[in-house]
Amino acid sequence: MSGDRVSGTGRIGAVLRFQAYRIANRPDMVIGVICLVALAFLVLGPLLEIIRDALSLQPYDLAYHPDGEVGSFSLFHLERVFVSPISKALFYRPLLNSLAIGVTVTAVAVSLGSLLAWLLVRTNVHFKGPLGTLIVVPYMMPSWVIALAWLALFKNDRIGGSEGLAAGLLGFQPPDWVSYGFFPIVVTLSLHYFAYAYLLMSGALATVDSELEEAGAISGMGRWQRLSRITLPLLLPALGSAVVLTFIRILGTFGVPALLGLPVRFFTFSTQIYNSINARNNGDAFVLALVLIVIAVSFIWINSRIIGVRKSFVTMTGKGFRRREINLGLWRVPLTILVWVFVLASVLLPLTILLWESLILLPGDYSLDNLTTYFWIGQGNTNLAYGEPGVLLNDGILNALGNSLKLGVSAALFNGFVGLLVGYAVVRGRGTRLSRWLESIAFAPYIFPSIALGAIYIGMFSTPLGPIPALYGTFAILVLITVVKNLPFTSRTGIAAMLQIDRSLEEAARVLGMGWFKRLVRIIMPLSASGLISGMLLTFITAMRELSLIVLLLSPSNMVVTGVIFYYQEQNMPQHSGAVALLLVLVIVLANVLVRLVAHLAGARSLASNAGA
Amino acid sequence: MSGFMGKIGGSAKAILFAALMASPTLAVSQAASPEVEAWLKAAELGPYAPEAENWDAIVEKAKEEGEVVIYSASGRIAELVEPFNALYPEIKVSVFDLGSVKTVEKTIREQEAGIYNADIVTTGNSGVVINEMLAGGMIYNYVPQAYVDRIPEENREPLLVRINEAIVIYYNTEANPDGPPISNIWELTEPEYKGRVAIIDPMTSGSTFMGVATIVQHADEMAAAYKRYAGKDIELTDGVPDAGYEFFARLLANDLVIFKSGSKLVEATGTPGQEKPLIGFAYMTYISKNQSDGFVNAIFTDLDPASKWVYPTFTAIAARAPHPNAAKLMTAYLLGSLELNKDTVLTPPFKEGKSMELLQGLAPYYDPGSVSPRSDVPLPPGGEIWDEMKGWTVSADFMQSEGPKLRDFWLLFSSL
Repeated sequence: MSGDRVSGTGRIGAVLRFQAYRIANRPDMVIGVICLVALAFLVLGPLLEIIRDALSLQPYDLAYHPDGEVGSFSLFHLERVFVSPISKALFYRPLLNSLAIGVTVTAVAVSLGSLLAWLLVRTNVHFKGPLGTLIVVPYMMPSWVIALAWLALFKNDRIGGSEGLAAGLLGFQPPDWVSYGFFPIVVTLSLHYFAYAYLLMSGALATVDSELEEAGAISGMGRWQRLSRITLPLLLPALGSAVVLTFIRILGTFGVPALLGLPVRFFTFSTQIYNSINARNNGDAFVLALVLIVIAVSFIWINSRIIGVRKSFVTMTGKGFRRREINLGLWRVPLTILVWVFVLASVLLPLTILLWESLILLPGDYSLDNLTTYFWIGQGNTNLAYGEPGVLLNDGILNALGNSLKLGVSAALFNGFVGLLVGYAVVRGRGTRLSRWLESIAFAPYIFPSIALGAIYIGMFSTPLGPIPALYGTFAILVLITVVKNLPFTSRTGIAAMLQIDRSLEEAARVLGMGWFKRLVRIIMPLSASGLISGMLLTFITAMRELSLIVLLLSPSNMVVTGVIFYYQEQNMPQHSGAVALLLVLVIVLANVLVRLVAHLAGARSLASNAGA
Repeated sequence: MSGFMGKIGGSAKAILFAALMASPTLAVSQAASPEVEAWLKAAELGPYAPEAENWDAIVEKAKEEGEVVIYSASGRIAELVEPFNALYPEIKVSVFDLGSVKTVEKTIREQEAGIYNADIVTTGNSGVVINEMLAGGMIYNYVPQAYVDRIPEENREPLLVRINEAIVIYYNTEANPDGPPISNIWELTEPEYKGRVAIIDPMTSGSTFMGVATIVQHADEMAAAYKRYAGKDIELTDGVPDAGYEFFARLLANDLVIFKSGSKLVEATGTPGQEKPLIGFAYMTYISKNQSDGFVNAIFTDLDPASKWVYPTFTAIAARAPHPNAAKLMTAYLLGSLELNKDTVLTPPFKEGKSMELLQGLAPYYDPGSVSPRSDVPLPPGGEIWDEMKGWTVSADFMQSEGPKLRDFWLLFSSL
C-alpha cells in the first residue's frame, strides 16, 4: 500500500514536473493566459460593471424614487431611455442623428479614401511620394481641430459677437445649416476620416497582385469584368473593414458634434452620454453606452456575415508579385491637379485659418493691422485673454504638451510590447482555444465607442479595485485606457508581424540553448521591428490627438493638450485654442518625421553592417 | 435655513414638494467614521470646534503644514496665489480650476474612493453641495470665529457662502439707444425675439442651471407677471406643470440659442456694431468685460417680475483634508481682511497695492455682479445696482428634488 502511495505521489510528481516542463517550454501559453486574464479584467470587467449600474438605482435617481435604495435592482434607466416621454429627446433622436452622421461620413470618407488610394497606388498620377506623405496629415489633425477652423470660417450671427471669416471678408452671413449641425459635422468628420480610409485601403490595394488581373485579361475578360470579378472581390474584405472601422469610430466621436451641434441644438449619442455623465446621471449614460456597443457589435457581425472574412485581409505570399500602374493617359495631368488641390486644401486650409485666428488681436477684425504675435509670445496682460501668457510662454500649456507627449510615448511603448506578446501568444498557439479567445478579446475594445469606454473607466476606476488603487484623476488611467483602446490595432500588427517569422528560426535558437527571453530580444523583436514601429507610431498619433476617449477622465493634474484646446474653445479664447491646436499638429507631424527618419537610418545602418559582415 | 426658506414664498406646490423630498435625501447623512472623527478632533472642526479659537496657533500650524489645495469652480481663485504667498510665503497654494460640475464630481468621487487631496472645496450647485456633500460628511462647514459677527446667518449656515453672484439678462446698448427694449420678462417669448435670445447651456453650466431652477421655483410670480403683461391667465403647453416651466418651454420654442460659455455669450450680446444683437442670460459679473473687452452690454435692472437670480458659491473644508489649518487660514483670506469695514475707501486697481491687501480673497470678485457674504464690505463702483435689482434665490432642497426633473424637462423641450 505504502509503496503504491509512494509511487502514486511519485507519478503525480512526475506529471507535475512534466507539466511544469511543458509549460516552461510553451511561453506562448504562459503569456497567453496572463494576457487573457489581464484583458478580461480590463475589457469585460468594465462591461459587467456598467451593465450592473445600468440596471440599478443610482443616487441621482432618488428624485424620482425617494424611497428607493441606491444599488437595488431597477429597470428605471431602461424605461427612461426606451419608453418614457423623454426617450425621444434622450435616445431616439440622438440615435438617428448619430446614425445619419455615421452612415453619411462613412460613405463619403470611404469612397474618397478608396478613390485616392486607387489613384496613388494603381495609377501614374504625378508626384506620388510627397502626396502620400501629405495625405495622412488630416489623420494626424484631431477632427475637431478641423471643426474649429470651420467655425472660424463660417460662424454666423446666430451666435452673434465677432464675425466669422466668411462674414467678415465677403460680407454675407452663411445660413445656419452651413454653420452648424448635420452638414458641417459631416464635412469636417469626412475631411478627417478620408485619410483613415485611405490608409486602410492603400495597404490593401498594394497587395493585390496585378498578375491576377492580367490573367483575367488573358482569359478574355473586359475591363469591367476584371474590376467586378477580380479586383473588387479581392478588396471587399478591406473595404468592409474600412467601412466598419470608420463607422464605429464616428459613432463614438464627441468633439465635433459638441462644437458644431450645440448652437442649433443638434445632439448625438456621444453628446448625450457626456451630458448625462456631467449631471452625475450615470444610469442613463451607461444605458446609452451599452446601446452604442450593441450597435457596434451588430455592425461587425453583419459585416462578417456578408463578407465572410473577419480577420486578416492581407494576402501576402512569397510568390512572384507585380504591381502594374494604370496609365491615365490624357487624364493624368487633370487628375494630378485635382488630387493635389484637394489634399492641399484639406491640409492647409484648416491650418491657415487657425494660424490666422491665432494672430488676430480683436476677434472679428480681419484687417492686416489687427495682427499680433501676442497670443504666441505675449507675457500675459491682464486686459487680454484673462492675463493668460502667450502659448509658447505658458506653463500650463507646455505642461499639458509634455503630458501629451508622455502619454503618446508611453502608450506607444506599452502597446508595442503588449501587441508583440499577444501576437506571439496567438500565432505560436494557433489552433488552440486559448489563441482564439485571446485574439477575440484583444479585438474587443474596438466595439467600445471612445466616449463609452471613457464613461466605463470613470465608473470602474474611481474606487480602489482589488490590488489597483483608485486611478481617478491620475495620469495612469489615461495611459491605461489609451493602451486598451489601441490594442485591436497593435495586437493585429503584432499578429501580422509574428506570422512572418517562421517557427524554425526560434527552434534553431532553442537548439543552440537560447532561453525564451533572449529569443524574444535577439530574434523576434529585431525581425518584427519595422511592423511594430509603424504600429506604435499610429498609437502615438492617436494618443496625441485623442479627445473623445479621455475627455471624461481629464482633470488639472493630468491635463493634456487636447483638453487644453477644448478648454480654450469653451472659454472663448479663439486665439489660444487656434495656436495650441497648431502647436499640437506641428508636434505630431515632427515626431512622425523624426521616428521615420530614425527608423530609416537605423534600417540603413543595420543593412550596412550586415553587408560588412 | 428657515429665514432663507421664508423669503421664497412662491410656488406653494414646489415648497410642499421640497419639504416632502427633504427627508429622504437628508437621510443619506452618515455617522462619521473613526478616521474622520479623529481627523475632526485633530483639526478642531465640526463638533470639536473650540469655544474660543486661537488664531495665532492656527496660523503657526498652517505654516507647518506648508500647503493648501483648493478645488474651485471659479478660475479667478488662481489670481490669489501670488498675493497669498506674499503674506504667507511658507504655504504653497495649489488651485484646481475645475468648474462647478467637475468640482462636485471630483470631490465626491475622491471622497468615495478614499483619496484625500483637497483641503478647500469652493463651488456652487447648492442641491448637491448641501444635500449630498455636506449631509454625507464629505465636506465640513467652517467659519473663522472672528468673522461670525460680520456675516449674516443665512450666509454662513448651513454652509459658508464665499460669494453671492447672479444670473441676469444682458442687452446691447448700442442697438438699443433708448434704454432697455423690454420691461416684462415674458416679452422674450414673443415672435419678435425668435432666435434672438440666448442662454448658457444649463446642462453644462451649474450656475445657469441654478438660475433656471430659480425661475421655475417661482412659478406663481411668473404666472402673475404673465397676467400683468398679457392681461389674462397663462395657458400652459401640454405636459408643462406651471408657469415657471412654461416660460422656458416658450423660450425654447422661440428658438432659444444655446451657448457653451458665458464669455462667448456676453461677447455675442455686447460686441458693438451689430445690427440685431442677441439678448442673453449670463453671469452678472461679466458686466466688467465692458471695460476689459470693449463690449457695450447693459443689464436689465427693472424687469417684471425679477431681474436677478442669485446663486451662492460656497466654501468648505473637505473631509480628512491633509492641511486643515492651512485651509482655515485660506478660508479667512477668501473672506477678506478683518481691517475692512463699511467706511473703508478702496481705490482701483483693486487687485494691487493697498486695496488688494484689504480685500484679499474678495479682490478678484470686487465688481457689481459679485457680493461678499459679509455685511461690512463697501460696495464696489457700480455695486448699487445689486440692491436695486429685485432678485430671487433657489432653495437647496428644491434643487435636489426638482433638479433631475428640470433636466429632463430641458432635454425634452430643447431637442428639436
